[in-house]
Amino acid sequence: MDVSRVNYLEARRLEKRWPGPIPALVSLVLTLAVFYVTWWIFQDPRGWMRMYTPYVGYMYTRWWLIMLIWMVYLFDFWPFKRSWLMRAHPLLKGAILSAISVGILYVLIKGFFEGLLGNFGLAYFNPHQLTKLPGVTEFFAIEYAALACLMFAAIASWLSPAWVVACEEVPWQGMTQPGKGISILVMTFFLSTVIFFMTMHSHMGILYYPWQYFTSIAPPYWEKFADTVSGNFHVSWIMCCTVTVWIVETIWERFPFTLIKTSWLRRLVAFFGIIAIALALHFFLYFAQELTWGEAIRGTRRDAAPDWRWLHVGEMAVFFLVPALFITFYCGNWPKKYSLPVNVLVRTLVTLVAAVLLYLFYYATSHTFLGTQKGFSHPQQFPMIPTIWLINIWLVHHWFMDNWPAWKMVPKTAEEIAADHTAAVEQVRQVRWNPALGLGLGAGALCGLAFYFISLNLLPWFYRSITVIK
Amino acid sequence: MSESKEQISRRDFFKGAAMGVMGGGLLTMGLYSYSPWRTSHFPEKSRKMADIGACKSIKVTNISETSWFSNADLMGDIKGAGGLLVNQYSYNWPPFGDGTGLGKGSYEKGIAKIKHLLPQDLDEAWAIAEKLAVHPENAGGFACLIELEETNGKPHKYLLDSGWSYKWTDECFRREGIDQMLVNREIEALFISHEHFDHFWGLPVTLKYDPTITIYIPEGFYPEGLQYLKDVGHKGKVVTVKPGLNPVVPGFASFVFAIPIICRVYGEQSLYFNVKDKGLVSVTGCCHQSIIQFAETAYQEIKYENDQLYGIYGGLHISPFEDWDPKYDDLVISLGKYGFQKIGCNHCTGILCAKKFIEMGYPVVRGTARHRSKDSAYLGNGDQIGFGIEV
Repeated sequence: MDVSRVNYLEARRLEKRWPGPIPALVSLVLTLAVFYVTWWIFQDPRGWMRMYTPYVGYMYTRWWLIMLIWMVYLFDFWPFKRSWLMRAHPLLKGAILSAISVGILYVLIKGFFEGLLGNFGLAYFNPHQLTKLPGVTEFFAIEYAALACLMFAAIASWLSPAWVVACEEVPWQGMTQPGKGISILVMTFFLSTVIFFMTMHSHMGILYYPWQYFTSIAPPYWEKFADTVSGNFHVSWIMCCTVTVWIVETIWERFPFTLIKTSWLRRLVAFFGIIAIALALHFFLYFAQELTWGEAIRGTRRDAAPDWRWLHVGEMAVFFLVPALFITFYCGNWPKKYSLPVNVLVRTLVTLVAAVLLYLFYYATSHTFLGTQKGFSHPQQFPMIPTIWLINIWLVHHWFMDNWPAWKMVPKTAEEIAADHTAAVEQVRQVRWNPALGLGLGAGALCGLAFYFISLNLLPWFYRSITVIK
Repeated sequence: MSESKEQISRRDFFKGAAMGVMGGGLLTMGLYSYSPWRTSHFPEKSRKMADIGACKSIKVTNISETSWFSNADLMGDIKGAGGLLVNQYSYNWPPFGDGTGLGKGSYEKGIAKIKHLLPQDLDEAWAIAEKLAVHPENAGGFACLIELEETNGKPHKYLLDSGWSYKWTDECFRREGIDQMLVNREIEALFISHEHFDHFWGLPVTLKYDPTITIYIPEGFYPEGLQYLKDVGHKGKVVTVKPGLNPVVPGFASFVFAIPIICRVYGEQSLYFNVKDKGLVSVTGCCHQSIIQFAETAYQEIKYENDQLYGIYGGLHISPFEDWDPKYDDLVISLGKYGFQKIGCNHCTGILCAKKFIEMGYPVVRGTARHRSKDSAYLGNGDQIGFGIEV
């Protein structure tokens, strides 16, 4: 096997420097320290730059995530040579690659969105254009423009990795860089634009007075179904798509889609399967709020408002992503000793429990540690900002810095890469149809159904039994 | 051989079971969670129908609804200080200016400059604040007078909030004769809706005329706010109202909502009045919980005349900075079905929102746009509204 034909992440082996859970714990402490310092510098409303306005900080956080995905998943670190990536010290790599990601981020926001789109296409991407509206203050002009940019980012952060994870880079999988990266970037950006117009443009259109009936569909088509005219309905399921893509890529190892042997069918089922799973999550997390906080009431503010409930679905979903990435990045995708489906189920259950605990911990403490407002439903309470900020730091640490210092990067040999491929194929091959599997599938499905209905009954009781915010 | 087969079989069973659990769970989640069947899981709604009595009428005088005079300056300060989550006491707004500039202040440093002058020498205290604070000329404030008549004819007077700028609030108090009412102890209590600068920081103006007045605050004040209550020279009783219903006199109850609010504030107190033969009237400072939530809470909690939501007075916190969001349209669209018959909105409702209400055909009581109120689309400074009484 030609080592240069596999991507950098696949071509490296990360070796622990210390035994047991020490590397994971060291990495956790280290990255949390970096998180807190950088949070204070850039985001904290009590800190230095105070970008948590909230939309400005949110927009940069969200787009930075996409820059990292572009650099690693789409462009495979191009234009950096593989030899440099293998040789350079992780600190140097982390500094250079992070600086570049931030540079591209700045050019994209200021140059593409504000400068190009905002001046020559859609005024709401440019704060200066928005201040021309009577009565709009500079603060809200900046916030509205940032909102538009980050709504676009929500879509891009789903589609960019989805084209790699689900569609397996088709039809450019055989191309070299930068052709492959550019092709996927253009494709996913194009799709993001189409979906932005169909899901978010109406939201921006009714920000104006009077509603912009002739340029955006108002009231939007989802009003009756979602019980709101807000685009948060779409933010919700799109955010769930982003989370699902990464769960499929990390703790699920692209299972169960890898069971499909026919390539085109596998890609198609994976792409739409991720959307289907995300929609299930989207509806369930909304229902979970109805069970704990009561039915939504249209026109209210805060935790009873449908628009906020939909947004909160996306926020809840991100809490699943944090432990899922930690398991993959720092726990070697534990456990691995069982069959693939059982491994996936155990990881999912661990993620589920960890996500609930993290959610409770966040709302109990964030107002103290992060300078956010106390409460679940404050209009400026955006847990997606700190959680994605932490994820960004983990991505930099794992992708750019090879988990340094608790791990050491060792280039894999061609034989090792081939062996990994064989093992992955074999792991999937072992999941094949037979009566025992069929019996298990049926029994499991009944258990899944029972688990769901038991959860419905436990949720209100669980919420009543605990005091999250004192 | 057979043992090995059995092992393989068990292993396969678990593989299938793992897939089934996830597949079955996800499928049910997707099909059931947003289906009409889900409503069977919601508890039966039973109304508490708490009896707060009824009053004959209430009259509300708008002392000031103009909390600030320039949106651009206010939002410029908020932007410069770091956004809507920054602690309000650190903005360096008056009266807590300390001369260090925007976003660098604190309650302790600010109050130290004026504490010795409170509550009697407010002109000098404000003069100091004007020198040390950011945009002192932009400070206004919210306050209103509520005159309630019991069914037996007994009158009561209450203040809701005490403004922001000492100078502006004092001027408004004198314009509406509030100063004399306070001096004569005609006003029984001051209800503070929430800790925000424009509702609470003008407290010394009320205390200048009546330092013994009883003050009701919602639970959730931050340490700075609680300290201010001590530092301003108040000699009366402070009642901290816990979340929920708090009956005051027949036909009048306050209700505290435990909610987070911008500029690091927590908790809001709004007022319910049950007017004989008319229905329920909601009087609010900012109504951060939303008027719909307030109406829904009334429906769940209180028994009121004719089961009719009758009137509204006050800020509805929809577009206070003339900003907009589609979720505000949800409110505008939904308000109609609650059947309010007299809407006296102003302050943080926003002029844009009042115009949308009018376009929807809601019974908005128009104002006179006097005393620096900007638009006649809503009740302005010095305007009055009556519920059960003509004004």
